[in-house]
Amino acid sequence: MDELFLSYIHGNSSLHRLDPRTKLVALMIISVLLLQTFTFPKLGMFAAFFVLLAYLSGVSKRVFVRSIRPMLVFFTFIFLMHLFLTEGDPIFQIGVIRPTFEGLMAGTLITTRFVLLILFASLLTATTRSTLITNGIERLLRPLPLKRIGLSSFDIATMMSLSIRFVPVLLDNARQIRYAQIARGLDTRHNMFRTISTTITPMIRESVSTADELATAMESRCYQGDFRTSLFELKMRAADWGVLCGISGLAVLSFV
Amino acid sequence: MIHINNLSYQYPDGTLALDSVDMSIDKGEFVALIGKNGCGKTTLVRHLNALLTPTEGSVSVFGMDTKDKSGVWNIRQTVGMVFQNPQTQFVGTTLEEDVAFGPENLKLPPNEIRKRVDRSLREVGLLEYKTHAPKALSGGQMQRAAIAGVLAMEPECIVLDEVTSMLDPGSRGNVLDTIQQLHQSGKTIIYVTQRIEEILPLADRIVSMNNGKIEFMGTPHKYLASVESDIPAITNLMRKLKAKGFDVRDDVFAVDDAFLEILKACDKRKTETSDNG
Repeated sequence: MDELFLSYIHGNSSLHRLDPRTKLVALMIISVLLLQTFTFPKLGMFAAFFVLLAYLSGVSKRVFVRSIRPMLVFFTFIFLMHLFLTEGDPIFQIGVIRPTFEGLMAGTLITTRFVLLILFASLLTATTRSTLITNGIERLLRPLPLKRIGLSSFDIATMMSLSIRFVPVLLDNARQIRYAQIARGLDTRHNMFRTISTTITPMIRESVSTADELATAMESRCYQGDFRTSLFELKMRAADWGVLCGISGLAVLSFV
Repeated sequence: MIHINNLSYQYPDGTLALDSVDMSIDKGEFVALIGKNGCGKTTLVRHLNALLTPTEGSVSVFGMDTKDKSGVWNIRQTVGMVFQNPQTQFVGTTLEEDVAFGPENLKLPPNEIRKRVDRSLREVGLLEYKTHAPKALSGGQMQRAAIAGVLAMEPECIVLDEVTSMLDPGSRGNVLDTIQQLHQSGKTIIYVTQRIEEILPLADRIVSMNNGKIEFMGTPHKYLASVESDIPAITNLMRKLKAKGFDVRDDVFAVDDAFLEILKACDKRKTETSDNG
């Protein structure tokens, strides 16, 4: 619980040193390409590419395994859906249960694609601290005309970093409220509905007051919701442009 | 530097939280603001950095009226504020990012922010923890981080609103030491508390509030002389000794002062009895 999945792993590899914008754009391009991939040899190439990058990042295998684990149920579900619901040559048949060879192919292809997507994403989060990711997103969003819908790229960046900061705090609050209710005799095993309702009400109240105090503290420290600078300076180096050119080249090639 | 003139404040629901308060605070002063829950302390200090603006009367900070919208950010930079709950004022995902939050809002360049972050963290003694996540810090360390976050904006005056009330005794001492150092380095301190004992040795002036009004304003010694209950244990002891006929001052609160007073009184008794005998 405390080791959140998709967390940052401190290091100083060439991947760590890339500008967050480069990594974000590269991840977007790779994701689009992955979703356009329908053959096993191509998927194999992506997998090999991932292994190469993971090796370069110096991040241990355990981190990647951990980032896949919470999604296992989802992956299994997707795989089974394809296996049983695709029309085609049956592998065997017992009543209405009728897995097909086509289903096996499609299921494997699609789950592998999702697994690779998650792995590439975890490569980004493992080599980039969350502040730099938010800063990178802020810089990428800045040219968009968000003003028209009453937002600024800085608002979005602040919201993101506050979410990262306060999600564990809220989880902790929920746990404490639950303990308090158990201490007063709530049966959490047999009374699901009561557990949820008696936990959620105080949680919402606590969250609102946390948000209120937080807003006051932020205002006191001159938060104005518009342009602000950052402790970390983003700088595109030659390596960044190189990576971007390389990835875009691959993208163009795969479409031709 | 801060002038409060005939300040009244009414909450939107109609409760009168402050009732014609008059007060001035000088540069470099250490003012302790005390009083029961709901007496208006927090409402009063929230006027000092324009989080609230007066319903009646006025507050001016370095000549800037807090009602003047254009000066709000200058005022908030001049008067920094630290709050009670360490958790809800920590906005960064690491210590250094949190301290950088204020300077980032002031739109300073990255190298200047870095300089200020490191300097403020050194001042509160947390430099070695700068890449720590908040969950790796104790309550006291988080409060000192909050102080560093305010220091990084280079304010003239720091308002501390019950900052030790959620801390254990050890961390409380550390936070108070940090505050005392800030005062010695020339910052104006306004310290809101319900714990009389912790603030008497530090404050230049005690301001006591009740029902939205200022009840007492003066030195810690004068304050003790003016109250009946809710006094430090040491003062209580001295009062009891005095009632038993010992010639001691009953407005002391420090152990060393009380010790000297008692020694003096004992010596006096000895000489008196030997004179008689």
